[in-house]
Amino acid sequence: MNRNTAVGVGGLALLTVYLFFDLVGDWGRMAGGVDNLLVFIRESLWPPNWTVLEAQSYPVCEARFEFTCSVAWLGMVETLKIAFVATMLGFVIALPISVLAAGNLSPMAMAVPARVVLAGMRSLPSIIWAVLFVIVFSIGTLAGIFAMTFYTVGYLGKLQFESMEGIKNAPLESAKAMGMTRLETAWLVAIPESANQLLSHLLFMFEYNVRHGTVIGLVGAGGVGLYINTYLKLGQYDKVVALLIVVFLVVLVIDFISMALRSAVNEAGDVERPSWSSIFLPASIASAQHPTPMGGNTSEESE
Amino acid sequence: MGEPLVHLHDVAVGYDPEHPLIVDVDVEIIAGDVIAVLGPSGIGKTTLLRTIAGLVRPLDGHVELGVAPRGGVGYIPQRLGLVSNLSVQANVEMGVRVGLSRWYPPFVAVPKTQQRYAERAMEDLGIAHLADHPVRILSGGQQRRVATAKTVAQRPKLVLADEFLGELDDDNVDIVMRTVRTAIEAQNSAMVMVEHHEALAKQVANRIWRIQDGRLVEELSR
Repeated sequence: MNRNTAVGVGGLALLTVYLFFDLVGDWGRMAGGVDNLLVFIRESLWPPNWTVLEAQSYPVCEARFEFTCSVAWLGMVETLKIAFVATMLGFVIALPISVLAAGNLSPMAMAVPARVVLAGMRSLPSIIWAVLFVIVFSIGTLAGIFAMTFYTVGYLGKLQFESMEGIKNAPLESAKAMGMTRLETAWLVAIPESANQLLSHLLFMFEYNVRHGTVIGLVGAGGVGLYINTYLKLGQYDKVVALLIVVFLVVLVIDFISMALRSAVNEAGDVERPSWSSIFLPASIASAQHPTPMGGNTSEESE
Repeated sequence: MGEPLVHLHDVAVGYDPEHPLIVDVDVEIIAGDVIAVLGPSGIGKTTLLRTIAGLVRPLDGHVELGVAPRGGVGYIPQRLGLVSNLSVQANVEMGVRVGLSRWYPPFVAVPKTQQRYAERAMEDLGIAHLADHPVRILSGGQQRRVATAKTVAQRPKLVLADEFLGELDDDNVDIVMRTVRTAIEAQNSAMVMVEHHEALAKQVANRIWRIQDGRLVEELSR
């Protein structure tokens, strides 16, 4: 690290510490805080109340597996449905907007307004969108779907246009010199070239939306969050904890499924296709276990 | 004498108006020309090619293109310009697509006739057996043949190639040059190639442009 870098890093560290102390102000307020938290956890949160996994008393459960009539199942399935529909709708809407927003695909006169639209949709958190759509559609899943879709468009659109801007210049230049139209360039060059990242972002967004299903449910936009909100209002925090653990486990499972899906997509012959071992091992060790199938160098190497 | 495809009128090439790389370029490219551009690295050969391709604005003068803006120019950049996630066939078919109307939807497969152009180009360059393989798994030499097949299938009036013979062994240089030459003769088109290997360039070209001291000097014309 040279002297200028050291001064810069040191300055940033000092500024952070100063701002932290400035924001906290009175440290005395923290006296007894940890004890209070421990009392709260012992008396209200722990152990989790696993009755959320049992069938509700009403309506009478007629399903083969009673578990499927439980609050956890019903809430989680609804959250997953909302997240899936919102992610797919958001993806389809965001894709054309992100093509317009990408500086290497569209002129600035188009890119700037498209970016403003995406920033606008992203700047309102999904819970605010949920409040607005609960007012429009009343409490329920429709409000949740619209809220998540709007936020997804803003968030995913930004990730997508940044991916497209990150692709190599040579295919775009070749397309331009050949006289390909903007639509052809976007559809045949930019989208396939950034496909791995687009897919990765799509899976990330689904996982994000599942997690946020708990948040938007708090304002009545359906899903497991609606049940969490009810238990919070009733002061049944042990049931809230049980539901949060369920959400955590489901997110973990989705994370594993998304990794498997991404590696399946790359099974089409990618020299560096991810495997389960590559998820847990450093890239250098994992790639040594999976040598190049064609014996050829990759495009990156050849360039 | 063939028809002029491109005329560079007193063109200055470069990115900085204060420091142009090449000045006073006033040349014509005629149908049937195979022109090799020679000169040391960093002297502006690629920039000249990019200027002809319409990717860089001339600092002075203007480039008069006598070919169709859509499909008239085939450009093989140094980094080949292939879409690495797409198959060899999809990349080659991109070349034939610009021969269709600009309103032909990009998400619809190209018509059978154009598909056959692409298949023939792949066969000529010995990559038909790789048609379904994604480009990213191919070797550097194979990728160069894909880029060439894409341009051959396009059947442009002007081919601009930036060191596209690099990474090819002697046999493949022969295959690639023979295919490109046949295509150029069949289409009555022309080719401008930037090449580092002077001996190779002199062997395949009928005109040599040497860039030296910021000027383009025509050395050989046969």
